[in-house]
Amino acid sequence: MGSEDTANMRSSTGGENFFGSGWDPIVSMNQSESFGSEFGNSPYSSVILGNQTIPSSSHLVHYPSDSSHGLVEMVPKFPFFGSESFSEMVGSFALPDCAQIVPTEKTSTADDQQVSEEGKMGISPCGNRKKEGIRVQFSIQSHEGKNQREISGDSSEYTKEQDEKKQKIELNVGANLRGKQTGKQGKDNSNSGEAPKENYIHMRAKRGQATNSHSLAERVRRERISERMRLLQELVPGCNKITGKAVMLDEIINYVQSLQQQVEFLSMKLATVNPELNIDLDRILSKEILQSQSNSAAIPGFVPGMSSSHPYPLGIPHGALPSIPSTSPYHSMPQNLWDNELQSLLQMGFDPNPAISNLAPNGRSKLEL
Amino acid sequence: MKQSSIKTRFTYGFLRTLKRLPKTRAKSSSFSPEEISKRCRIIKLATDASMASAVGPRRAWSRALIRRVRSQRRQRQRQWLVMRRTRRGERKKGGKEVGGGGQTDSLRKLVPGGETMELCTLLGETAHYIKCLTTQVQVMRNIVDLFSN
Repeated sequence: MGSEDTANMRSSTGGENFFGSGWDPIVSMNQSESFGSEFGNSPYSSVILGNQTIPSSSHLVHYPSDSSHGLVEMVPKFPFFGSESFSEMVGSFALPDCAQIVPTEKTSTADDQQVSEEGKMGISPCGNRKKEGIRVQFSIQSHEGKNQREISGDSSEYTKEQDEKKQKIELNVGANLRGKQTGKQGKDNSNSGEAPKENYIHMRAKRGQATNSHSLAERVRRERISERMRLLQELVPGCNKITGKAVMLDEIINYVQSLQQQVEFLSMKLATVNPELNIDLDRILSKEILQSQSNSAAIPGFVPGMSSSHPYPLGIPHGALPSIPSTSPYHSMPQNLWDNELQSLLQMGFDPNPAISNLAPNGRSKLEL
Repeated sequence: MKQSSIKTRFTYGFLRTLKRLPKTRAKSSSFSPEEISKRCRIIKLATDASMASAVGPRRAWSRALIRRVRSQRRQRQRQWLVMRRTRRGERKKGGKEVGGGGQTDSLRKLVPGGETMELCTLLGETAHYIKCLTTQVQVMRNIVDLFSN
């Protein structure tokens, strides 16, 4: 997939600027991720590898058609790659992604080693061209376990050569990508490795919006996001059948809005009610409130007070209550500092007289709260 | 007593703050719109504060909520100071966008503290926030029922 694409890209006539139109088909082929406009910004790519003019743009144009080829098909094409173009492509893609893999400075050496091994696939047949590109490319792929298997199968026949060039490329790419790398070197490498599994070029192309996002981190992030979306799907009622982030997000937003409106409505209602609490009643009420089970589901409507079953009338004698240390759970849980702060916060917020007089030199009256 | 949970903590805290509310002195005054709106504001503040305190500082949204409540309080108490609500955000729009359009942005506005989060953390915070909101609604509904009976 990814390797295919790169292979195809290489084999086709080359221009140096695949960033241009060349990437578009790739992009379109890829998933909906927005690659951003960074593709075109790989100045280093041409510089790094140097001089070989490998058909890049044309490769890209052909990309979509070539994508259908299997990985195996791509393999034999590696020899044709100009390492330059390859590295260029790699570089351009790798801006966010490969950066992690490539730069020696930042990536873990282990990863690099892996990469080099994986990446050697096309190097030998290429005749010692700039294999860095290939190497880099593979490095991207290699890190993911699955990708490695895929690629290693193909790459096994290739020999590892030209570590120097690899390093050169790495340095070059690294230098260019330095600014864009994050600290997640190892992870990035693995991520980038994984991407080729789906779509080799695609992985490269995905730069994401943040300048320091890498394919590896991106993949991990994407998975985390989808995992949380699933969690949210369970929380929001009625979203079991929704597939798709956009619709799901809409539902979530509506739900949160409705919940907030419910809270507001209920607080308004509470404001009109005259709470006549004394301390003992407070405990009774807490117990009752906590035990009421009927209102578990938050209904999007503004149904006022679905009266639940109140097992205990308000007239319960105080003595019947177990001594509830009402403040103990409240105090014990949060950290002391946090609790104290909130205590003061609540006190100040709801004792307008003392609070205001304390805070404001004007000594406002209650009403001014 | 039940084991401490967010629900119990919130209930206790909320009831305590409600207790501290200035009781309406007369029936007539309690129905004046000013008084009611004032109490409403106070109660809303109480819900936010007690929920945030029940959750504690371990969640970004509760921390942001506490900040907001405090700034709100200061805002009211110091009219001569122009203090904007603490939405420090927009420093970072978060990483990649999952939803098309402004869905992510509108979600950020809903969840306290969501302006500066990445999408990943935003979704996590949203999940926890939804859980706590449902708890809050539940408790408040019970309270209202109890008081209105």
